[in-house]
Amino acid sequence: MKKTRHMLRMGVALGLGLGSFGTMAAAQDCTIAVGAVLPTSVDWGRPIAETAQWVVEQVNGAGGVNDCQVNLILRDSQVDPKVGVDAAKALVDLDGIQVLLGAVSSGVSMPILTSVTAPAGVMQMSCCSSSNAFTALAADGKDNDLWFRTFATTTVQAAMGAKVARDQGYKKVAILYKNDDWGQDMGKSVAAFLEALGIEVTANIAINDAQPSYRAEAAQAIASQPEALYLALYPTEGTAAVREWLSLGGSENMIMANALKSEEFRENVGMQYLGSALGTDTASPREDSATAFVDAYGAKFGTAPTGPGLANSYDATMIALMAMEAAGKDAKGPQIAAAVARVTDPAGTPVSADAAGFLAAKAVFAAGGSVMYQGATGNVQFDANGDVSAPAVVWKFGDAGIDEVEFLSLTEVDAFVAALK
Amino acid sequence: MMGLLSYLVFFSTVASILAIAVLGLNLQWGNAGLFNGGVAAFFGAGAYGALILGGTPQEVHLGGFGLPFGVALIGGMFAAGALAWIFGRLTLRLRHDYLAIATFGVAVTFENVMRNAQWLSGGAQGIRGFARPLQAELGAGLSYNALYLAMVAALLILTYLFLQHLSRSPFGRLIRAIREDEEAAQSLGKSPAKVRLTAFVTGSVIMGLAGGLYGGFYAFVSPQDVLPILTFQIWAMLIVGGAGNNRGAIAGAFLIWGAWTASGWALSKFAPVEAQLYAGSIQYILIGSVIVGMLLWRPQGLFPERLLVSHSGQNNRTYKPAGE
Repeated sequence: MKKTRHMLRMGVALGLGLGSFGTMAAAQDCTIAVGAVLPTSVDWGRPIAETAQWVVEQVNGAGGVNDCQVNLILRDSQVDPKVGVDAAKALVDLDGIQVLLGAVSSGVSMPILTSVTAPAGVMQMSCCSSSNAFTALAADGKDNDLWFRTFATTTVQAAMGAKVARDQGYKKVAILYKNDDWGQDMGKSVAAFLEALGIEVTANIAINDAQPSYRAEAAQAIASQPEALYLALYPTEGTAAVREWLSLGGSENMIMANALKSEEFRENVGMQYLGSALGTDTASPREDSATAFVDAYGAKFGTAPTGPGLANSYDATMIALMAMEAAGKDAKGPQIAAAVARVTDPAGTPVSADAAGFLAAKAVFAAGGSVMYQGATGNVQFDANGDVSAPAVVWKFGDAGIDEVEFLSLTEVDAFVAALK
Repeated sequence: MMGLLSYLVFFSTVASILAIAVLGLNLQWGNAGLFNGGVAAFFGAGAYGALILGGTPQEVHLGGFGLPFGVALIGGMFAAGALAWIFGRLTLRLRHDYLAIATFGVAVTFENVMRNAQWLSGGAQGIRGFARPLQAELGAGLSYNALYLAMVAALLILTYLFLQHLSRSPFGRLIRAIREDEEAAQSLGKSPAKVRLTAFVTGSVIMGLAGGLYGGFYAFVSPQDVLPILTFQIWAMLIVGGAGNNRGAIAGAFLIWGAWTASGWALSKFAPVEAQLYAGSIQYILIGSVIVGMLLWRPQGLFPERLLVSHSGQNNRTYKPAGE
C-alpha cells in the first residue's frame, strides 16, 4: 500500500516536475513530502503559506532535498484546534511526513505537538507561535526535542521595552496589553523586567478586542498616575485605547511593542501626539541576509514583506529543508530534528537564505560539515527549548516613516536579558 | 496501510467524542425542545474540569491534582452539570430564541472567563501539563490511540443506550409532552420547570463528558477550543443527522466531521498548487452548502424523529410528522 502510494506520488511529481523544471526533472526520480498546517483561510495567514511555498519552489529549483523534489502538502487550520490537529494527523499518517511546518496560533500548535507530532516522532517547526507555554513544555522534556520555532519569544521584546523605560528615566509605568496569549505573555514579562530594573508598574490592564470604547481601561491606567505607558497592542485596539488615554490627559511618553509599528496607527492617532513615543522590534536584523530577503520577496510578490510572520515563515521552511538535507535520505523526524543543530551552527560555514545558499549548504553537508544559516530574521540559533533569540531595534515614528533610534545585536540583547534574569 | 488505520482510529476518536456532545444536545433540543446556544461552555467546562483535576502541578494556574483520569472525567462532568444547573435556574424560564441568546451569552462568558482568569485556567495559553492516561505504560503509538478509541466508543454506546432508555421511559414521554404543549402537561399535575431543568442539566453533563474526553485526548485545552464555532459544529451535526433521533445524532456527528476533514484532505490532494492557498475558503463554502442543502431538501435530517403516538393493543403505530 505504502509502496503504491509512493509510486503514485512519484508519478504525479514527475508529471509536475517535467512541466515546470524541464531537463532538471529528468535526473529526479523521487519526491519527498513535507506537511504544512497554516491558517490559509485567514487573510494574514495566506502570505505565510505563500512564503513557505516559495521556499519549496527555490529548493526544488536547486535540485530538491537529497535529490528528491519536495512536495509541500498544505492544509488549512481554520484557526480551529480540532481541524488543525486532524489535518496534522492526516499528514503524518496518510502522507508519511517527517517534518510538519505550523501552526500559527499557539492554541493550534500546542495540541498538534502534544497529540500528534511528539507521539509520532515528527519534527514540528512553527513560524509564528509565541506562547511561553512551549518553552515550559520543552523544559519539561515533553516535546521529545522535536519542537522548534523561528518566532522570537516575547522575552526579547519585553526586555527591550523595559530597557527603553530605563534609558528614558521613567520611574512609574502602566501597561496595556492585548488580551490573548501573546499579549498576556508580554504584559507579564514586561512587568517582571521593569521591576527587575527598579521601575514601578502602576497598573497592568488587559484590553479586549472589539470593544466600542476603552475609556474605563484608560481611566484606570491614568488613576494609577504613571509617568509613561507601555503598549502591547495591535493597531486597531491600540488606536482606540491611545485616543482615550490622550483625551483623558495621559502622558505622551509611550513605549510600543512591534505590533504597533504601522502607518495605520500613526495616522489614526496623529503624529503630533507621537513625538516622544518609542517602539521596540525584533524583526529587522542589520544583516545583509535580512535585506536580501526583503529585496527577494519584493521581486517575487511585488510587495514588501510587511505582514506578520513572513520572514519567520521563510526561515522555518528553509531551516527545516536544510535539516532534512543534512539528515540524509529517509531520515526520520528525530534525526532531522537533531540535524537542525548542523544548520544553525555558529561555528559553521555561513550560507545565505536562497537557492544558492541551499546548494552551498548541500555541499558542506555532503562533506560532513555544518553551516551557519543567515536567514531572513538574521543568524537563527535555537536554544535547548527550540526557542530563538533575535537582535532588537528601538524605533520611533518620523514624518516620513519609521526612524531607527538604536540597534542592538543578538549578543547585546542576550547579554541584557541574561543580566536581568 | 498502518498509516490509514492509524488515521481512521484518530478520526473515529474525535468523531465519537463529538457524537457524545451531539447526543447531549439531542436530549436538550431534540427531546426537550430547549435551544441551547452555549454548547461550547458545557463542553469546555468538562474539558477544563477534567484537565485541572487530572493534570500535573503547574506554577501558573490552579490544578495539578493529578487525580486518576476516571475521577477527573467525572469531576469535569460535575463541573458542566453545576454550570448548567446555575444557568438553567436563571434562564430556563425563557423560551426559544430568548433561551438561545441567553445560553449563547453563557458560552461567550465562559470563554472570556477562561481567557482572563489566569489563576484558574492559565488564561489564553490554556491548560497543559496533563499526562494522557496510561500513556507511560502503553507508549504513544497506535495501540494507545486504539485503546482510547475503545474507551470513547464504549462511553458513546453507554450514553446512547442510556438516552434510548430515557426517551422510552415515562420521563422521556414527559419531556416530549412538555415540548409539545407545556400547559397541557401542567394541567396533568407535572412541573415543567423541574423537568426542563433536569433535561438541561443531564444534556449538559453528557456534553461535559465529551469535553473531558476531548481534553484528555489532546492533553491540552485553551480558550480557542471553546469558541462559538464549536457550538455551530455540534448544531450542524444534529440538524443533518436528525433532531430527536439518537442514531441520527451519532450519524450526523460522523458525517459532518467526516465532510469537514475529508474536504480539506481532498483539496490538499487534488487541487492544483496555486489553488491550495484558497482551499481553506473553498472548504468553508462546501461545508456551508451541505448544511444549506440539507435544510432545503431534508429539514427533518437523515434520520427523522420517530414518534410513538399511542399504544393501541398490539398495533404499535408510528408516524413521521410532516415537519414543524
